[in-house]
Amino acid sequence: MGIVKKYRALFLLLAASLAGVACLRPPGQKNDANTLVVWEQEDALVAPFLDSILNEFKKQPGNENLSIQRVHYHTEDLRQQFQTASIAGSPPDIIIGPPDMAGVFAVSGFILPLDGLFDFSQYSKQALGPVTMDGKIWGVPTSVGNHLMLLYNKKLAPQAPQSTEELFKVCPGLVRGKNLSYCLAYDMNEPYWLIPWLTAFGGWPLDGNNPTLDTPAMLAAVKFYLELRYDRKLVPMECDYNCMDSLFKEEKVAFIINGDWALADYRSRMGDNLGAARIPKMSSTGRWPSPMVGGKDMMFSSKLSGAKLETAKKLAVFFTSDENQLRQARELYRIPSVSRLAAAPELQRDALLKGSIEQMQVASPMPMLTELRAIWDSGRHYLGGITQKKMTPEDGLRRMQKDCEGKIQEMMR
Amino acid sequence: MTELRRSTPRFKWGIFAVHAALILACVINIYPLLRIISVSLRPGNRLISTDLALIPDGATLLSYVSVIKNTNFLLWLWNSLIITVATSLIGVILASTAGYAFSRFRFPGNKLGLTLLLGTQMIPAGMLLLPLFLMVMKLGLINTYLGMVIAYSVSSLPFSIWILKGYYDTVPRSLEEAAMVDGTTQFGAFYRIVLPLSTPALAIAFLFNFTAAWNEYLVARVILSNSAKYTWTLGLFELQGQFITQWGMFAAGSVLITIPVLMVFLYSSKWLVSGLTLGSVKG
Amino acid sequence: MNSQVLLSLLEVLQMVGFVAFVTLWIEAYLYVHFNFPKKSWFLPAVLSVVPFAVLLLVLVAVGPVITVGQAVNIYLYSLLAEALLSSFFRYKGDKKLALPYMLIMPGFVGLALLIAYPLVFEVYLAFHDLKLTTLKVWSETGYLPFVNFEHFYDVFTKSPLSEVSFWQLLGRTLWWTVVNVFFHVAGGLALALLLNNEIRLRGLYRTLLVIPWAMPCVVAVLAMRGEFHSEYGFINIMIGRLTDAFPMLAQLGMHKVQWLSQHAFLTCTIINVWLGIPFMMVVILGGLQSIPKSYYEAASIDGASRFQKFRHVTLPLLRPVLAPAVTLGTVWTFNNINVIYLVTGQSGGTEEADILVSALYKAAFTFNRFSYSAAFALVIFVLLAVISLMWLKFSKGTESAYD
Repeated sequence: MGIVKKYRALFLLLAASLAGVACLRPPGQKNDANTLVVWEQEDALVAPFLDSILNEFKKQPGNENLSIQRVHYHTEDLRQQFQTASIAGSPPDIIIGPPDMAGVFAVSGFILPLDGLFDFSQYSKQALGPVTMDGKIWGVPTSVGNHLMLLYNKKLAPQAPQSTEELFKVCPGLVRGKNLSYCLAYDMNEPYWLIPWLTAFGGWPLDGNNPTLDTPAMLAAVKFYLELRYDRKLVPMECDYNCMDSLFKEEKVAFIINGDWALADYRSRMGDNLGAARIPKMSSTGRWPSPMVGGKDMMFSSKLSGAKLETAKKLAVFFTSDENQLRQARELYRIPSVSRLAAAPELQRDALLKGSIEQMQVASPMPMLTELRAIWDSGRHYLGGITQKKMTPEDGLRRMQKDCEGKIQEMMR
Repeated sequence: MTELRRSTPRFKWGIFAVHAALILACVINIYPLLRIISVSLRPGNRLISTDLALIPDGATLLSYVSVIKNTNFLLWLWNSLIITVATSLIGVILASTAGYAFSRFRFPGNKLGLTLLLGTQMIPAGMLLLPLFLMVMKLGLINTYLGMVIAYSVSSLPFSIWILKGYYDTVPRSLEEAAMVDGTTQFGAFYRIVLPLSTPALAIAFLFNFTAAWNEYLVARVILSNSAKYTWTLGLFELQGQFITQWGMFAAGSVLITIPVLMVFLYSSKWLVSGLTLGSVKG
Repeated sequence: MNSQVLLSLLEVLQMVGFVAFVTLWIEAYLYVHFNFPKKSWFLPAVLSVVPFAVLLLVLVAVGPVITVGQAVNIYLYSLLAEALLSSFFRYKGDKKLALPYMLIMPGFVGLALLIAYPLVFEVYLAFHDLKLTTLKVWSETGYLPFVNFEHFYDVFTKSPLSEVSFWQLLGRTLWWTVVNVFFHVAGGLALALLLNNEIRLRGLYRTLLVIPWAMPCVVAVLAMRGEFHSEYGFINIMIGRLTDAFPMLAQLGMHKVQWLSQHAFLTCTIINVWLGIPFMMVVILGGLQSIPKSYYEAASIDGASRFQKFRHVTLPLLRPVLAPAVTLGTVWTFNNINVIYLVTGQSGGTEEADILVSALYKAAFTFNRFSYSAAFALVIFVLLAVISLMWLKFSKGTESAYD
């Protein structure tokens, strides 16, 4: 046993270092009762506004000990990370994001239905529609928007065209006279931009939970795209979001179809030269396009309960107070989700907001369905094929419908 | 290592042709970097422009100022630096010892180990993200440098081991044998003789670890969710929104973070060529 | 800011302590087990110490959140494992092997943790059914329905994207790998031969040429992608100017091309070739410089031409350097997702440029098909392993690296 003594030092060392290292454990994530973790996916321009709202909230009576941790993710990352974190059992308390991600979370049971927790009667139907599924409400709308509209540069075109016929009439002159690259710019491969035109032909991508992509209205809308692109050459060929954005900022196009998220950025660059109007009426059908409308919503993790839930509720109420909603409208050009505020004289005085509100009021709420994801995906793929003339419109739409049905089946079976 | 080069081209025009070809290649290789610099100098927030001029009209350094002043850029840089340096050091230490074992010893699992190392490179890496997250979560390593450093140093380990093993193979065994005759242990011989001779390969392994960790995004996205711990990749991507991206600031940030890597490359360039020995030339 | 820096320094210290401790633990364990298994005190000593040490280690790693029951379990399991291991060492241990295992173990423990566990997890997922509708139950109870080979069947029969089939993707992946690796080696060889001349500014050229490798990949790809834009990219603008200046070229069929939508695969390939050449260049240059000059002199005396010298001296001697580089390059290219993902976008859009891994990413992350994508990933892994093994057997590719 003498040898044990000889090597006793080694074992002692081992034990001592173990004890020492026990306090070397690096500090992990804190998630105590006084910390509210908020995840969001806003553009960098919005972060200061959000921070100031959160800071104001901390100064409210009763919130002295509260600390709020705001974490930013890309939209896609937010969706994935929230899912992963929920699986691991440590989700954030609140997420703020577009309602189209709410569908997935609601199906997998990671967010709370909020009926009865809030007075939802004050919100507009455009704001509530996108967060309603199976008769339950899954998020508190903090703004209504994300709708497309026609934006124009008044230096180049003093008036917005009221109909597609008018658009076709002014465009050739504009392009020649002002030396523009094109008349109108938008991302033709992105199905979100197809929706307003589809509605102008009387269509809608879904009927209940089923995709309706192979319909006469879709065909008409797609053919209208081909006309814009190839016959009239009004819209650039290979133009993604960055491309259309640059064209408009460089004053190489007079019109752009873009969402309300771009208003603040364009306004700061162009000042009063920026105009907003409804997307022009489709002359051949006499219908006005109705873009999809969503907005931003506050969703609560299903792990949230007790005192923390109360704090989260207070935060949502605080965010949608008149004062903060109007401030949001002033700073970010976002339309209040509270319906009576849309008519506030303060907002109506601003021509830009007025145009945006007019378009919003005729927009159709985006359905809160996971199926929508499949529609965007199939739509993007085949719309690209059709507009690049890799396939005929008829063939493309048939395949789009089939692909979309397959994807939904994969997802939900 | 003595520098051994092929003979000089005989004719003047030969040299010109070589220079011309090299200049052309250099231009192709640095042009995108110049374009990014040009975006960062562009006033207004545009990624694309029909303007090919590298110094745009009304060039301004505003983007650089705002990326440093209005964001936590310096903090991100600091975090990246800590994680990257720690990763590189740990990675090189682990690889240099393991590489030596593979180079000098025959032991059960010798070949299997090397094959497994190659095998790790065959796993589609992104698929490991979900289990990785669950594990890191359980170990409480979310938002820690430790979690990042372990993940990074281990993931570039296979390549580093290969590099170092390849290099050790070119170091004659007789040197160690002589030292061991003089009474040094095998580890002592490795530490005092083989390691110093292997500076080029160590530098390469360090460089490789450094760039891999410096530029990594996916794993960082999974492990870090506290903005105080963000690395520059996460921070810079914060400037990229769903629709609106601060392209000017993004480009300025990109230029600033490319500089440290370029400096490391520049510094290690004297070892770069001689150190990257995946297999030995027997001559 | 300052307090944050101090805090982070403290954390660095903790980190160093932690890593050093774990390494020390592993080394001490191996040292004792390799050197003293025949001693009489060995078994009682390790059996009494190691399980406690393991328990403490777990406490250190996971934090004091485990229950007493779990602690007892850990203790008993590690006791059992230690009994088996120590008797194994007692009869099979070899003192001479202590050093190599002590040298490789810290790294391999890390690898096992980081790769083995996730891999096992993926295998589990592939045979069960985790998707949107089973997520909640799984995260709460850990229950997942077992579905046998269903997902593997789907991998081969259903398209991960819209229409492109698994076999088309496989074919494209192989083509992508071959083309890329070929041009990486050819381009790298050409540049290395140029740089291997004794000319001025060699150092400068070499530095500039490795820039694509040194640049953050994401930034480099986004920048290159911009150059391929049909209206605003350098390439089409130059084509436009050339055809304007020399109408003859237009008659020869030179015209602007919609690179990103019509020729997405070609664009991705060009960008990836551009990115990969510098690495090969450096590897080959290293090889060239280690070829003794005397070989060339001998060849000159025999009256060999420059080409003959290249063919009979340079190429054969480069083989041992090239073979492992090509093997690694093949594996990396096969699994390279960055370029295609960043050029063609996250989901939807064109699928004409997708290879297996990029299709996998798009399918996995857009549609929450966790199990399906786990099966897909395993198929890719096995495929790649089989291809690599065949390649290694066929070419004796890494012979020099295994020596």
